[in-house]
Amino acid sequence: MKTRPTLRDKKRYVAFELVSDQIITRQELIKEILNSIYSLFGDIGCSEINPWLMTFDGKYGIIRCAREKTTETRAALACMNNLRGVRMSILVLGISGTIKGATEKFIQNTLIKELEPEKKE
Amino acid sequence: MSLFDSRFYDLYIHPGSSYPIARIASEAQRFGYSGIAIINSAITDRDEIPQNFSIYRGIGISCKPSRLREEIKKHKGGIEILAVPGGDEELNRVAVETEGLDLLMQPAQFNNVLAKAASDNSVAIGFDLGSLIRLRGEARVRELIIMRVNLKHARKYNLSMILTSNAHSIYDIRSPREMAALAGLFGMTKEEAVNAMSETPLGLLKRKNPDYIQEGIEII
Repeated sequence: MKTRPTLRDKKRYVAFELVSDQIITRQELIKEILNSIYSLFGDIGCSEINPWLMTFDGKYGIIRCAREKTTETRAALACMNNLRGVRMSILVLGISGTIKGATEKFIQNTLIKELEPEKKE
Repeated sequence: MSLFDSRFYDLYIHPGSSYPIARIASEAQRFGYSGIAIINSAITDRDEIPQNFSIYRGIGISCKPSRLREEIKKHKGGIEILAVPGGDEELNRVAVETEGLDLLMQPAQFNNVLAKAASDNSVAIGFDLGSLIRLRGEARVRELIIMRVNLKHARKYNLSMILTSNAHSIYDIRSPREMAALAGLFGMTKEEAVNAMSETPLGLLKRKNPDYIQEGIEII
């Protein structure tokens, strides 16, 4: 049965960019994000944050988290620094209430920004 | 207006001697900083540094407590930012009691006597968030406890606080919002964190300007 709208969990979607010079797969990234949240906030904190990687295309991605826990999510993402020995970091582009908003506002904007200088040349 | 509209500075970036500084600079600009200070490293590729971005030089002094006073006196009055990585109580004591020091990074065993001396000599206390990023488990817990104690003393004695990433490479740089989130882990409020990255570093850099005379005095 569907949950009633007033009882649904309120969520936020964190758009991010992965900074790394090697290819990192979706599975590895999920594992590392959960690992980072576990080590920083423990099991209870992780259940409150309720994280999930919605999409990830190798560079840009979206993570879902609870509405009240965006600061904690940011902190946990900032604590990631290497993945099986490969140096990496995560740059949070922005936080939105819908996946559509996060994609349109932050990820597509970033793509356009990077393409512009080439057009001028 | 959002809190995060100010200009942000990271005053303790510590790359190896051969690391390309232009790369760090362009990455820091992309992450939302207006300027950084490079510790103990010559800035060679100044031409490749992006526009509207300032790079300052800093000197990190690490030596025995008995020699620290001389070292600080030697570099005092220059345009470089003088920083001392904090250590045990003896070292911290010498550092905060010497006039001319700008930044004491992450002092362990900080207490009220040291805080009062730091306030008299206007030494800023640096919080090394890089340790939270790099360490895990027990070691990170210890760093968080140190930071909590330092924050308590800094609030009580009105010390200036500075948040730094202590980055060794481009992968250690974090954007100002994430730095504020990390600072929240040990109890720092958002406002304090933003001040520690924008206003306090700006004030410190102003003091390093050759035209600066003394607190409250300026040439008109």
